[in-house]
This record gives sequence, C-alpha cells and structure tokens, in this order.
Amino acid sequence: MPLLLLGIVTIAFCISRLIPANPLVAIVGERSLNNAKVVAAAKTRWGLNGSLPEQYLVYIKNLLKGDLGTSFRTRQPVTHDLLHRLPATLELAAGALLIGGVGGVALGAYAASKKDQPADHISRGFSLLGSSLPVFWIGLVFLFVLYARLGWFPGPGRLPPRTKPPDDVTGFYTIDSLLDGNFTLFRQCLWRLVMPCFVLGWAYMGQLSRLVRAAMLDEINSDYVRTARAKGLAERLVIRRHVLRNAWLPTLTILGFSFAQLLTASVLTETIFQWNGIGSYAVQAANTLDFPAVNGVSLFAGLAFLLANLTTDVLYAVADPKIRLA
Amino acid sequence: MSLLSTEPRLNLDVLPRSSGTASPWKRATVIGGLIVAGFWFVVVFTVQWWAPYAPLEAVGKRLQGPSWHHLLGTDALSRDVFTRTLYGARQTLPVSLAVILSAVTIGTTLGAAAGFIGGRVDSVVMRLVDITLAFPPIFLAMAVAAALGSGLRNAFFAMVIVWWPIYARLIRGQVQAVKHRDHIQAAVSIGATRWRILRKHVLPMSFTPALINATLDLGQVVILTATLSFLGLGAKPPSPEWGAMITEGAQFFYQWWIAVAPGVAILTVAMAFNFLGDGLRDALDVRAKR
Amino acid sequence: MVAALAAASCGSDSKSSSTSAAPAGTEAPAGTAAPGATEAPAATTGDTSAPAAEGRPLIIARDMDINSLDVSRSYCDTCQIFNTAVYETLITVDPTDPNKILPRLATSWEANADNTVFTFKLDPAATFDDGSPVEAKDVKFSWERLANVKGSASYLMSGLKSLETPDSGTVVATFEAPNSAFLPIAAASYLGIINSDVATTQGATAGSDADTTDKAEEWFLAHSAGSGPYKLESYTQGESLVLARNDNYWGHNKPVFPQVTISEVKDSSSQLQQLQAGDVDIAMQISLDSVGQLDGDSKVTTKVVDSYNYVYIALSPGAEGAEKLKDVNVRKAIVEAIDYDSAIESLVAGKGKKQASPIPNGFIGSADLTLPSYNLDDAKKKLSDAGLADGFDLDATYPDANVYGVDFNLMMQKIQQDLVKVNINLKLTPVQFPEWADRINAKGIPVTAVYFAPDHTDPSQYIQYFGEIPGSSWAGRGGGGDAGTPLDNPKESELLATALASSGDARTQAYTDLGNQMIEDAVIVPIVNPQLVLATASDITGMHYSACCNLDLGLLGLAG
Repeated sequence: MPLLLLGIVTIAFCISRLIPANPLVAIVGERSLNNAKVVAAAKTRWGLNGSLPEQYLVYIKNLLKGDLGTSFRTRQPVTHDLLHRLPATLELAAGALLIGGVGGVALGAYAASKKDQPADHISRGFSLLGSSLPVFWIGLVFLFVLYARLGWFPGPGRLPPRTKPPDDVTGFYTIDSLLDGNFTLFRQCLWRLVMPCFVLGWAYMGQLSRLVRAAMLDEINSDYVRTARAKGLAERLVIRRHVLRNAWLPTLTILGFSFAQLLTASVLTETIFQWNGIGSYAVQAANTLDFPAVNGVSLFAGLAFLLANLTTDVLYAVADPKIRLA
Repeated sequence: MSLLSTEPRLNLDVLPRSSGTASPWKRATVIGGLIVAGFWFVVVFTVQWWAPYAPLEAVGKRLQGPSWHHLLGTDALSRDVFTRTLYGARQTLPVSLAVILSAVTIGTTLGAAAGFIGGRVDSVVMRLVDITLAFPPIFLAMAVAAALGSGLRNAFFAMVIVWWPIYARLIRGQVQAVKHRDHIQAAVSIGATRWRILRKHVLPMSFTPALINATLDLGQVVILTATLSFLGLGAKPPSPEWGAMITEGAQFFYQWWIAVAPGVAILTVAMAFNFLGDGLRDALDVRAKR
Repeated sequence: MVAALAAASCGSDSKSSSTSAAPAGTEAPAGTAAPGATEAPAATTGDTSAPAAEGRPLIIARDMDINSLDVSRSYCDTCQIFNTAVYETLITVDPTDPNKILPRLATSWEANADNTVFTFKLDPAATFDDGSPVEAKDVKFSWERLANVKGSASYLMSGLKSLETPDSGTVVATFEAPNSAFLPIAAASYLGIINSDVATTQGATAGSDADTTDKAEEWFLAHSAGSGPYKLESYTQGESLVLARNDNYWGHNKPVFPQVTISEVKDSSSQLQQLQAGDVDIAMQISLDSVGQLDGDSKVTTKVVDSYNYVYIALSPGAEGAEKLKDVNVRKAIVEAIDYDSAIESLVAGKGKKQASPIPNGFIGSADLTLPSYNLDDAKKKLSDAGLADGFDLDATYPDANVYGVDFNLMMQKIQQDLVKVNINLKLTPVQFPEWADRINAKGIPVTAVYFAPDHTDPSQYIQYFGEIPGSSWAGRGGGGDAGTPLDNPKESELLATALASSGDARTQAYTDLGNQMIEDAVIVPIVNPQLVLATASDITGMHYSACCNLDLGLLGLAG
C-alpha cells in the first residue's frame, strides 16, 4: 500500500510537470512573465527552481512530514484547502449514496416482486437511464427545468442566499446547523442537497437496482425460500427475512466501485451545482496548473480509493461467510 | 480477493445474473439497442449524403427555435443544430470504438502475459494496473489530456490509458482461473507449447467476458468522450462534438435546443450499448443460463 | 500644461455623481445605531430576513478572478471592485465622465509644468477603519510597496524617482520623465492606501527588496487595513468574498449595507436565474444574449451601458509558423476580411461597438480614428498581390475564456468562418490560460484572442502594452523584425513621450496619432467593444460602471 501511494504521488508529479505550460502565470500574473527578476524571485519562493528530480525529492520529503505544499492559487496550504472542502464533498457523496442505496434496493426489490409487469419495465428503464446519462448534461437540464422554470427546487450552491453559514464545527452544513439549533437552516441545506445528490446518485441507483433485482429473483427461486413459503410464511416476511438480507451482498460489492464513480461524477456535479468541494477544487487546480493542489488532489483521491476498497473488502468478508473461509 | 485490491470496477463474476433469458423486456431492449446503434452507425457512414445542411455552414438567422427549416433550431453562429448533432456521431463513435479496441488489445496482451508467464512480468504489469486504477478515471484522463493538449486524438490516448488496466485485470483473472483446469493441465502434460495453450485454450475462454465488458463500456466511453470535451479537453472547435456542443449550449439557457439535442444523442447511444451489452451477456455467458 | 486643480469641498462628490440616490438625510451617523427614520424597505421584495431599517445585506453574483487581496499584488477586475471598496485612493474618477478627476483621500493635487512633480494634500479628516489618521507616510509606504513587490500592477509606478513627505499631510511624487498619466494612475484602485502601521506589524515591507522580504500577502487574505467604506470580513476562494461595513467610515457617503457578499456564480445563465429568483441583488455578468429575458420583470432593473472593455485578436508576425504575417499587407488583408458587424451580432447580440485601435472608445485619442471596415474584395486583392491568393494555414491558439460576455470559442469560430472566405484556414486550439501564457511568451502564437479592461483612465497604458515600443508586451510577442527581435516603431516611442509631456489638445492629438500608428501596425485587431449589462434588484440604487474601478460599492444604496 505505501508503494502504491508512492506510485500515485510519482505519477501525479510527473504528469503535472509534463504539462507544457507555465505555473508561474498563476503566481506572478501574465504581465510579469517577461520580467526575469520577478520570475526568478517567484521560482525561488515557490520551490520551482532546481531540477525536476530535486523538486521531486523536496516534495516527497515534505510529504512525509504531512506537508502537501502551498497552493499557487489560493495561497493556502493544500492540506488546509482539502480539509476545508472535504465536508462539502462528503455531504454530497453521502447524500448520493443514501439516495442511490435506498432507492436502488427499493427499486430492485419492487421490480423483482413485479417481475415482467409494466412496473418492472418502468423501474428497469429508469435505472438504466441513470447509467446512460451524462452527469453534466442532466445536471444542467435539471437546473433549467426544476429550478429556473418550475421553481420546485432551490438553485445551485450549498447555502440559501442571504444566509450565513452555520458556525464552523464540523464543516458539514447540515450537522453544524443542527448543532446551532437552527432547524430552518438545516432543512434548507438538506433541501439544497436533494438535486445534486440525486444527479450524482442516479447512476449508482441504476446499477444497484439491477443487481438487487437479479439477486432477489435468484433467491426467490431458491430452495430455502420455497421451503419457507411452503411452511406458510407470509410473503412480505419471506422477502424481508430471507431475500432482502441476501440483497446486501451486491450492495456492498459495488460500493467501492460506486465510490470511484462518485468521485468522478462529483467533479462534474460540483462544477455544475457550484459546490465548493474537492471536485471543483480539482478542476480549478487543473485549469490553473496549480501543481501542489493537483498533486494533493491526486493523492487524496488515491487514498480515498484505497480506503473505500479496503472497507468494501472488510465488509464483504464480514457479510459473506464463504469469503471468510477462503 | 485481496484485501488491498484496488478494483474500482465491477467484478462481474461475483455478481448474480439476471435469470430468465428470453423475457419480452430483454428481447425488446436488445432489438431497440440494435436499432438505435444501427441508426447511429448508418449516420456515421452516410450523413454527408442526406443531412440538410453542412455542419459548419452559417444558415439563416442565429438562435432560432425548432422549425420545419431547422428541425432542432440554429445555434449562436447560425449553424443547423440537427445537422451538427448528426455529424457529431462521426466524432464520438469512431473515437469510442477505437478506445475500446485499443484498450482491449493492450489489456488482453498484457493481462494474458501477466497471468500466463507470472513471476516478475506479472508483478510489474499488476503494479502498473493497480496504480492506474487508483486514480479516479476522470482525474487521470483530465491530467493526461491536459499534458498532451486538447484535441480528440489526445483524448483518445488519455482514455486508452484509463481503460486498458480494466481489461488487463479481467483477462489475467480469467487466465489464472483456466490455467489450472484439468484439460489445460492435460494439454501441458502431453507437451503442448505455452503459446499453443494460450491460443487454443485460454484466450477463447477469456474472450466472452471481454466482449461483454467491451460492449457495456462502449456506452461509458461515449459519455467520457463527451465529458472531456465538455471540460475543454476533447474535440476542438468548430467540430460538432456532442460534449463541446453542450458546453456551447449551456451558455444559451433559454435556447434550450442547442444543448438538448446532443445530450439526447449521447443518451441514446449509451443506452443502446447498455442494452446490447446486457443482451450479449445473457446470450453468451454460460453461467447466466443456469 | 496642467493647471493646478483644487476641489472646493468634499461635499461636491456626492452631488456630482448622479447615481447616488441614497437618501442622504437618513444615513446613520458614524456608529452602530440604526437610523430610525426609514421603515421597512420597498415592499416589492418581500424578503423576510431583511432587517427593517438597517438595509439588508447586499449580495452580488460574479465570476471572480481574484489573484490576491493584497492591494499591492492584486491585478484583476474583481480586485478593482474590492480595492475600491476597502482601500481608498487619493483621487478618483467620476463614473459618468472618465476624464474628470474627483477628490477622495486628497483634497487637492497639482502637477508642475512639465508633468514630472505631483503634489497631493491629504484630507486631515481621513481615517483608517481602526480610527487612526491617514498620513503621508501611509501613502509613501503603499506606493513604494506597490512598486517594489514587483507584481503585475507594479508597472503603474514605473519611472518613479522619489516620494517625499514634507509633512504628514503632503505627498510629493517626482518622476524621471514627464508623466501626464500619473493623475489617472493615482486614481487606479491598485494605488489604494494601506494603513502602514498595521501592515508592517503583519510583515509587510516596502523597500526595494519587498519582493522577497514582504510576508504579508497571506495576512491580507483574511484581513484588511484600509480607509474605505467597507472592510474585509472573510474570503473563501471559489465561494464568496464578504465585506463588512466600516462603521468608522470618515467620508460623507456613509455605506448603506451592513454586509456585502460577492458570491461566486460562474456563468451568465445562473446569474440571471438567481437574480430573477431574488437570490441575489446584483448580477454582474449577464450575457448580452440573455438580457432580453429580463424584459418585463418588475423585480429587476436592467440597464445596458457602454464599457471600456474589449476583446481583440492579435497577429504575431514573429511567432513560429507566422512568417506570412511579416508582410503588413497580409495582416491588413486579415483586418479587412473580418465581418465586424456580423461578429458583433453573433457574439454580443449586436450590443457592442466596433473599435478602431487598442485605445478604447471613450478614451482620449479614440474619437477621430477610422473604424475598421469589412472589405472582402480588397482583402482578396491584397492577398493576391502578396502572392497568397491560394491561402495558407495559421495556428490560432487562444485561452478558453468567456470574458465581458464574449465567448472566445464562438468568437474564434466566427473569425474562422470569415477568414475561410479569403482561403486562410485557422487551426483553432482552445487552451487553459497558463498554457496560453506560456506559449505566447515563448514561441508565440500566429493568431490569438485576448481581452483588456482599463487599469486606469489614461490612454498611455494601451501604448505601453500594445504599442511597438521597447518594453511593450505585444512588441515582444509580435517579434516581426529579423531574428525575432521585437517590433519597433520609433515614431510611437516619440509620440508617447510627447503625449506624456503635454496636455490639452496637443495630448489628444498625440494619442490620436498613436492610435493611427497602431492601426497601421495591424497587430492588434479589436473585434468588439461590448456593452455591459447592469442588472439589479429594483430597489438597489446607484448601480454604475466606472472606468477606473469597475464598480464602487460605496455608491450603492437602497431605495425606499
């Protein structure tokens, strides 16, 4: 795992330095690029002098001390930037996983119970739509229709306009507003999460409902369920006791996978919904060639990936006795 | 399954399959997928003969809504949106196909080599796979596209870099699984060469999952191509690439037709390949037919 | 010759600005007490959260381009707004007439006969937000720091020989050469005055080594030390810039809003939606194409005004692959092959003007220039005379930007459409800004697109940046001479010296001549001088556009 992280850092470092552009623009401004004195001073100050291997070594050395460097653009330590934006992204991801997870299981179970009826087809069509839609496009369409035209949902951004963010305790606006005892704000923040979370969670919901549906159909036809039914157990009880419990397995299986997709889609969702999280930070960093920020985000994403997969595997092992034996 | 696996992709083997091969839904979706995909492929080859206008030509007034003259209206530079949407298929589909073909070729070669030869080759290839897969696909594609410069060709390279490890891992798993089966062991014992075993026994068995994955992935590659263009890293103007058209249209919110048309185009293509992939899985995958 | 100017009294500035409709009588006296005179504000926007008498917080939607909140290092359009609200300049410019100078921290100012020595008298009443007086030492510190941190705006102080402070209320700036531009420059927001006592305790320095010794930039991201009507409360990059009212504000135009938030809203569509939904009070970058959507909306007041911004394409004969552009007639053919009227229609829905030279419409010297005209036949003839009737390819790499309502992707596609008609094929490549800046300064780019907004109200900045004179950015990039040497048009250097030393009609004539010279260079080709949409909630008063400062938040008020 440390080797993998080193690999990620190295590749991120190499790619960012391969880009044929000048990060100094972000620092000194386009107008001063011709001024050799200014450029030299900026290079020294921001650690851009010296050969690439030297810069790399310095970067790794600082990294080991937990220092990701200072962003050229925000002039803040990258760790600070990332931590500051993390709650926004986590709030979004959690909401998306919740919508996708609950919706996916419910939809899948419902579709399975109505196998080959119109309701089944509609719910399958709906979930398939989720994995066939470009996130950036459906986000724009939703904003136009549901916010601008119909006014059913609030606009982009984490906070209602004319509202101060709650006192910064955790950085999660939903939690902080509760801690403040400000239920109105809590409700508003939650309401603002709905549209972006749905856009983000739709694809996950689609995949999950397909898996749950298939798993449930397998289970419904399996021997022990037939036995249970034969014993006269109520149909709803059968579904809850035996079938749904087994549906958790596919849910877990694609959790790690979905996390990857969530990170990917969050880049777009955050851009479109003006969500000041890691995703939009990544886009801005890439656009301005903010090397320390680009490397920081890559490292963060890699780490998050590893953790997500580790968690998945552990949960999977706990949930499925067969794997534990292996 | 290793506890430290970095598998970000769906491992199809551990998942249950949809049972019931010939439900009316399945048949309808496969036929629908075939029709839609077929339509777009016909467009790619024949659009120049029947599109109402030229894709770069300024015709009529700008920002006109849909009408009989312009089925999907005109854009800010007075170009016909319907024509541009059709021509968009020529940008996206060939690139997406090329991405999948290259990724499958590279992935299969390296994956088979890793699985079959094992040892150092295996560990080098798999470390590479692990590291590549540890990046969220869009981050890596963005970084590579930024490093290479914009343009569809560079977006193609970026996407191949993102996608090959998925197939490498898939094929390696397959190879390792079949390597120990009895008939392979038997072939080894009667003195068949490694190459022959690989060609005659291992690869054919690995082909099916790769084909299913490739079809399902094709839809995703179409979306990623558009996404890269949307972020300014794909097609260059003035080419009528769908993602780039959406970017342009997003500025003209009230002229909704500019962004809606290419979005629907992407949707239909992605959906068609999803349907086809599903159908293929049911038709080809032995285990699904239990 | 510049005569000594003196403003009669400070009271004149609120009178002269037609836009300050805020009821002067109801303003709070310095302090925190709310004025009791007014009841709830206009009934139209029934926002329950708005505190009744105080005036609600103001919210502005804007795509922010902030590079720094350190006034000496800042250089951006949003910085101009921030600097103007927080750091006052000695003098300022009348928003309705860019050539009229008004007092701010200084009560009077004068230039000597040859425009080399400028003397400012400070207003003894002026204080910083902490209550301490604004003194000559603060001016000296701020201006020297601006010059010495060597940021992008440092060029404004070039040629400064010395800054003397004979007493705490007098500042004397002496220049090496005549500099008639200095009064307009002194009104530029980047020359805002910092409280030097506060700044030095936070690590700010102003000496000649300030570029390495000054450590205050980070501090300025969360704090401010100025005398303006507002002060910095917080800044979250990519989210919001929050200003709080300076309750100790010394000036006569007391700030109305308890808080001003500039909220990051990237695109025009979102800004429009949020303004219509009542989520924001002011939307600053509504595209000229969508402004019609606001017609008939009684909750929104819209005005479309002329601006001094423009977008241009630049032809660099010295760039790699641009050998054919070395012939000035080929460049002129390109100028004639562009259909400006249809471009203005396509890019800004017709709400923009053609512009003759890099000196924008409305600036001294721009009035008598001949506007570019579309002449396809003549363009073809010029090209065939040059033996290029069959055309050629040109690389056109440009920043992927959307500025002043103009989308560069659209603009370059439009120009590509036009130039194809004379068989010139542009190879369009949009890139991110850092990549563009790297290319333009290294190999150069044959055809590119850029934008410019004034830093101050004197035309000299355009010659210093665009002219074919030593040190100009575009002379170096143009590089048309042999072996890539910068373009050099000695006439322009002469004319600029004349303009900087003279005043009145002679100065105007010199700038007119400079404009004509730059038209003849055919390096900078302005495409459109777009208008600007001023869109506010209908109870906001005093919305304006200012040549020096973009928007002076201190002039905004609430009706009712």
